[in-house]
Amino acid sequence: MTGTTGSWSQRLANWARMKSPWITIFNSGGCNACDIEILACLIPRFDVERFGILAKGSPRHADILIVTGPATLKQASRLRRVWEQMPEPKYVIAIGACGAGGGVFHGLYHVSESVDSIIPVDVFVAGCPPRPDEVINAVVTCLGLLAEDIAHGGKEWRQKKAVEIPDTATTGEVRV
Amino acid sequence: MAEVVIPIGPQHPALKEPVNFRVIADGEKIIRLELNLSYTHRGIEKGAESRDFIRVLPLLERVCGICSHSHATAFAKGIEEIMQVKIPPRAQYIRTIIAELERMHSHLLWLGVAAHEIGFNTLFMWTWRDREAVQDTLEEMSGNRVHYNMNEVGGVRCDLSPSQVQTALARLPLLEERIHKYVAMLEEEETMLLRFRGIGNMTRHEALAYGAVGPTARASGVACDARHEDPYLVYAEVPWEVVTDTNGDVYGRTCVRIGELRESAKIVRYCLEHLPEGDIRVPAPKAAPTGEILSRYEAPRGELVHFIRTNGTDKAERLDIRTPTLANWTSVAMCLTGQNLADIPVIVAAIDPCLSCTSRITVLDNNDNTSGMITFDELRKRSRARWQEQERS
Amino acid sequence: MTSPLTRDVVMETMKEFGIVEQVRANRFRITTTPDRLRDAVKTVQESLACERLVTISTADTRQMFELHYHFTGQHRTIVTVTIELPRETPELPTMSDMLLPAGIYERQIHDLFGIVFSGHPGLKKILLNEDWPDNEHPLRKDWKPDEKTFYGGTKQEGR
Repeated sequence: MTGTTGSWSQRLANWARMKSPWITIFNSGGCNACDIEILACLIPRFDVERFGILAKGSPRHADILIVTGPATLKQASRLRRVWEQMPEPKYVIAIGACGAGGGVFHGLYHVSESVDSIIPVDVFVAGCPPRPDEVINAVVTCLGLLAEDIAHGGKEWRQKKAVEIPDTATTGEVRV
Repeated sequence: MAEVVIPIGPQHPALKEPVNFRVIADGEKIIRLELNLSYTHRGIEKGAESRDFIRVLPLLERVCGICSHSHATAFAKGIEEIMQVKIPPRAQYIRTIIAELERMHSHLLWLGVAAHEIGFNTLFMWTWRDREAVQDTLEEMSGNRVHYNMNEVGGVRCDLSPSQVQTALARLPLLEERIHKYVAMLEEEETMLLRFRGIGNMTRHEALAYGAVGPTARASGVACDARHEDPYLVYAEVPWEVVTDTNGDVYGRTCVRIGELRESAKIVRYCLEHLPEGDIRVPAPKAAPTGEILSRYEAPRGELVHFIRTNGTDKAERLDIRTPTLANWTSVAMCLTGQNLADIPVIVAAIDPCLSCTSRITVLDNNDNTSGMITFDELRKRSRARWQEQERS
Repeated sequence: MTSPLTRDVVMETMKEFGIVEQVRANRFRITTTPDRLRDAVKTVQESLACERLVTISTADTRQMFELHYHFTGQHRTIVTVTIELPRETPELPTMSDMLLPAGIYERQIHDLFGIVFSGHPGLKKILLNEDWPDNEHPLRKDWKPDEKTFYGGTKQEGR
């Protein structure tokens, strides 16, 4: 899990990230139901703090950014700035139907297309709102992604490469 | 003039929705307050004009995640009145049960958040754990912990089976016992007494002049409650009382909310025990005749007003929503003048804002010409430090 | 609680201002003109014992803008004062000096409909983001978003 490559301090940092991810929560203009469900993760019934998951105020201290709400036009630039402030490796979880494509608010005049059009999202969680169990599951999925990325040395192996399409004008071929 | 900018970005989840207000301060004392609400503006009123009565209800539920049933019911009952459709008694009772359960979960949530603002995290954990009992009941009845979607124009969507009624009744004694404990805490607990008393004072005259609604106004002795003034659902039949207080400060608002928790538990118990038999919906016409209505509903935060105009089609021509928090913001602005900066979190939390202050507070100091940045965490530390000072003295 | 207002009382007090109708058992509507609005509101507050402003609602009827001022008091009856404004020049003197809560409602109405409240202490944007163009008012019936205009958000393409 910590990897066998890299220096001793890098392996320690990876171990700390896996064992205790720090999250920061950003409400990009939603109705708040998802925020309440995330808050409900902290209470004695679900209690994520026993797993070492801490909710921090500043994005500069966080490994995972949790975004709730459809990104309203006002919050879009702020969301982008908050994401840019996070140090690598960083992951983004978009909660709820709003995060995936605007949810019920899709198409309204003050709402952008989706959170995905502003920052790259790693995990989407379905639901309106998703239960606290599902939110915890999303964080654990993120940790799984983090473990794979550490093993592959970064995130690049997950990016899709652009496909080269031959220019038919020069070759004169027409593919059917 | 010093500009002390407090950017409150994403941070500890006790603060929910983003909002921006500028506080103009003179040293530690606040002089004026300016407000910016665009962070969560989504354009729902325009969206409601292009969705028919079935599709608009899920949109309206999601205006607010805590008082979702309030918006849906206010709209549904307004449209039913324009259409002159009378829904069956069983549907009225079910709507009332969900409405009062929503009020209970909202007040317990508020109590936890207010306690968190003063550093009393134990109460935050206790109230939210008790809130889970209410959430479980709502989930069994409707299928979701939040956004229950129980309403349809013409009745409710799903029925309550006898076993669901029994399970809900079995949970009530635990909730009633916990509420009793919170009532006792309010009289004895030093933390709450020190930090809540004398903060954010508002006289009866001010409450009326600033247009305050809900527990904020009732704590100043204004007995305005839409369930009493304009009875809807079954509030005219069920025995209950409007809870008021004469303190007018944050402590008074806490007393009113805990009193309302007790009343809501009573109403839920009565409705579950006296649930009438019958249908849960009547067929309603697809289109509403031309008409206009002002539908008032008592949401957990205060009076919610939907101004609906229809034009003979199956969509609303105009829906104008006035949320209770909007009515209360002016009173918050006035309450904060003359108070200390360190009291901002408590006073703003006391109106139970549905758009909370997760975002920026810009503080402009009238005296100095310097500018600086403080985080909201620092502001809260000041708030707690003040409590500790008061404890020691 | 005092007893509800009766139709006769409201008719008698308000008939000089315009048409009085009883739209519902506990709701009355008085339609008056913009220049008589201040006097009408004053009379409603003083003679009809309406202690608080409930809200200010607006509607766009495609020909005119309508503004509805709803009041209520211990008599539990709602009294609505309605005025109409022309669409080309929707202007009205502010009511925020007389009615303190009106300040915030007028700012919202200005953002959404473009009605100008002269004399308002701070008619800045409250609902729409700072990049929203100044003369576009989304809740007007003839407003459609223009593809080429930038309404706010991030200007970056892709990630």
